[in-house]
Amino acid sequence: MVLAPGRIRDARQEPNLATECDFCVVGSGAGGSMAAAVLAEAGARVTVVEEGGHFTRRDFNMQESWAFPALYQDHGNRATEDLSITIFQGRTVGGGTTVNWGSSFRTPDSTLTLWARQHAVVGLDAATLAPHFQSVEQRLSIGEGTPDDVNANNRKLLEGGQKLGWQPALIRRSVKGCARLGYCHMGCPVDAKQSAALTYLPDALAAGATVFTNARAKLVETDRGRAKGVVCEVRGSDGDPTSKRRFVVYARRGVVLAGGAINTPALLLRSKIGSGSLVGRRTFLHPSVPLVAFYDEPIEAFYGVPQSVACHHFADRGERVGYFLETVPVHPMLAAVALPGFGAAHQDLMRRLAHAQATIALLIDGHHDDPGGRVSASVDERIRLSYPLSLALREAAGDAIKNMARLQLAAGAREVLTLHEEPVAIRSEADLSKLDDVVFGPNRHAVFSAHQMGGCRMGEDPAHAVVNSRGRHHDMENLWIVDGSVFPTSLGVNPQLSIYAHARLFAQAIAAQG
Amino acid sequence: MGGAVPIFLGSTRRSREPRRPLQILTNDEFAIFAAAAARLGPSALDTPGWPSTGTLECAEKVDGIMAGLHPRAAAEFRKLLHVFENTATGLFSIGSASTFTASSAADQDRRLNAWRRSRVAAFRSGYQAMKRLTHATYYSSTETYALVGYPGPPVVPQVPA
Repeated sequence: MVLAPGRIRDARQEPNLATECDFCVVGSGAGGSMAAAVLAEAGARVTVVEEGGHFTRRDFNMQESWAFPALYQDHGNRATEDLSITIFQGRTVGGGTTVNWGSSFRTPDSTLTLWARQHAVVGLDAATLAPHFQSVEQRLSIGEGTPDDVNANNRKLLEGGQKLGWQPALIRRSVKGCARLGYCHMGCPVDAKQSAALTYLPDALAAGATVFTNARAKLVETDRGRAKGVVCEVRGSDGDPTSKRRFVVYARRGVVLAGGAINTPALLLRSKIGSGSLVGRRTFLHPSVPLVAFYDEPIEAFYGVPQSVACHHFADRGERVGYFLETVPVHPMLAAVALPGFGAAHQDLMRRLAHAQATIALLIDGHHDDPGGRVSASVDERIRLSYPLSLALREAAGDAIKNMARLQLAAGAREVLTLHEEPVAIRSEADLSKLDDVVFGPNRHAVFSAHQMGGCRMGEDPAHAVVNSRGRHHDMENLWIVDGSVFPTSLGVNPQLSIYAHARLFAQAIAAQG
Repeated sequence: MGGAVPIFLGSTRRSREPRRPLQILTNDEFAIFAAAAARLGPSALDTPGWPSTGTLECAEKVDGIMAGLHPRAAAEFRKLLHVFENTATGLFSIGSASTFTASSAADQDRRLNAWRRSRVAAFRSGYQAMKRLTHATYYSSTETYALVGYPGPPVVPQVPA
């Protein structure tokens, strides 16, 4: 199913600089598309504003040089302010769902329990969320993974994990008729991945919603304690960020924010809504530490389902920060950026690309005493994210690297290489002790994030939370947040399914109250 | 790198001119990045068949990337280039008071390594910015695919309309 023509409108082509609706939804990813669909189907007039452009499978050419500038925040250059953590975050119609790998997990019970016990989240348990998960799973064609989904890259994680008794498992994915090309993160060129742009956004459009693309939400306009509308900045052509043309969406009943963690808190900060001591704090990233292994046989980790196996054996480490293991595809540009060194040394590593396997450890931040990061929106409106890697996270990263190396050796790797700027090479179990002294710190080792959460945490105590347990802002009764920024901690699993399900629950509450 | 104002600029040696009009970088800034990219990228002279960062117009592409970023981000990058280039940085980093562009290839590598391993976090950030931009623009070029054993994107199956 493709988006209905004529109802997605490019703000750059719009002569009128103001429009009116019942609800303005900011963002068209998992949360925004879901909210738009639920509200429009309930009879409300809905306008969605999306910062990115509208691209379809005909545009998705599987070239990194096109995909990252076109489909990602900051043209693929988003990072923490010290550049120590690279941030991959979608900026296009469909948001992150257009560029993710379709991995789908329900929110772990342990995470929901933690939120209830420590963050005063009320009425969000597995039973409450179950019908929402079921509905989303059906709409996105989320099914069990099959052995045919497992390419050589993922097979190493599967086989190595099995040999060590770590119980790796196949990942459920949101696909229909997958051609297993390997380019999900550059947009699916065969419309197999059931992104928001192919599912909930068309549902919203069919129910009468309008989507404006290339419209960046700059401010939420308020009047006497109520959200009145959204002031957008129309992006210039070809990425020119300097266009100052404004576009205003007046929202009679309310504003629903779904720009994702980082953008949503930044929008609140720019709009001076809520307490500055809460908004933007406790931003979580699942900081991801990669480890590369080289095998004698070709792995060709650029082809096949990018992510089909996960291992949660180390998710619960008691008092220490847990982590889970997955793989990432190895295409030339991303590999080159992550691999250490320069000149001939870097070139030698690149020559081995086809034999490289990449495993990542995603650190489960926010479940212990680690405070996460902080989003700030400065006067010049450039969003800044700081995220110091705490000692607890560094310990987890060190443990994860050692265990990933163990796994890759068990899977038959010739050599395992850490992505430190001074890389450590591991060729046998005896070499693992070399990892005892490796240093973690800003820009000493590759770290990235594809899962942004928190920054506008939910909970019933306004002194400690930005929104309540149904996403309504504590200080503004007609302002809601329905994206991953409401999560009080990271999830411990890939977030897209959780965001969809929470957004569905929240949007139904908005429709009933709003 | 915010706040660091270069005092000892020296004069920038321009090894080549941009092949298209620049949008953000000045000609000097272009020359500084082009010189850094030439060392950060593959050793084209030693490995025949590998295009140089100049041939693939990495510096021109980086100028284009800067044009798409927030103006403050582009301004910080330009400031970084001046700090990296200036003679005081050379003195502080490797004990050689010359600009980066006027340094020998060996001294250029020493300066890059000094920033890469520096105890000063801002220097490591600066190194990473230049390194990532060089490698991203170089290895996303189709001309390099075969050199690294990447056959390129597969043929897409026909999708019913």
